Amino acid sequence: VKILVTDDSRVMRQIVIRTLRQAGYDEHDIIQAEDGREAFQMVGSEQPDLVLSDWNMPEMTGIECLEALRAAGSQVPFGFVTSEGSPEMREKAANAGALFLIAKPFTEETFRDALDGVLA
Amino acid sequence: VSTLDTGERRRNGEHRPVITELIDEPTIQSIAEDAWTALVGEDEILVPLPGELPADVLSSWVDVVGPWTGTVVLTTGRETAAGLTRALLGEHAPVELDEEDVADAFGEIANVVGGNVKAALPGPSTLGLPETGPTPPATRPDDLCRVDAQWRGQFLTITVQGTTGVPHAERNEVPQ
Repeated sequence: VKILVTDDSRVMRQIVIRTLRQAGYDEHDIIQAEDGREAFQMVGSEQPDLVLSDWNMPEMTGIECLEALRAAGSQVPFGFVTSEGSPEMREKAANAGALFLIAKPFTEETFRDALDGVLA
Repeated sequence: VSTLDTGERRRNGEHRPVITELIDEPTIQSIAEDAWTALVGEDEILVPLPGELPADVLSSWVDVVGPWTGTVVLTTGRETAAGLTRALLGEHAPVELDEEDVADAFGEIANVVGGNVKAALPGPSTLGLPETGPTPPATRPDDLCRVDAQWRGQFLTITVQGTTGVPHAERNEVPQ
């Protein structure tokens, strides 16, 4: 299983990857993108099984990336990991085709709850 | 009567709330404590105690634009910001931190605190990207909420401060 972690913060990518390992997903192949544009390209070139993406990023935001992927016909499973977890953001994410939204700060349990159904 | 009512509604519509009407210190403290535990470390505690900032400080902040417009600012000593960065990076911390590491890590704490403060405010709002640098001035003392805290005995402040007009430069903001 290949997971694409997308965040403009290198520190946050490391924390997400560390939390993935702590949550028990340490056998998976984890790749990284710095913004939505790079993530969009890497979905094409790397064929990940899941995209975990920040929302607010320069160049292309997470939601723009998701919308571009769906418009291009990609159905790659996509979830947000973002500092904004309001009901409006969750609704917008779900309407665009996201499977879940993990709000920062998160715990390994939050990751397990969101990812277990997707990666089972 | 209807004329009076219309006038009242109009005045209410023009009222821009100050931050103390929307959020209080314990809420901000609680948001910050959660961010500390999750980002800095499970055993890392933010103690609600006042103190004194050193001369050499660094701030990180995010802007919120919406029914309430302003900035969520973290300020601490430069050394403490570096210590926070090492804690966030954990085993990946380099021997010598560069400014980019500190801007990234300290900015991400402001991003998480700011995102959760934004979620507690009336929407729709947009959140800017995190920035670091000299402390942004608080231009409206009547529109400010401040929390003083200590981490590992080092002092830091979190202010949620209103701004007049559009804050700072145009950034990549995401409509909610």
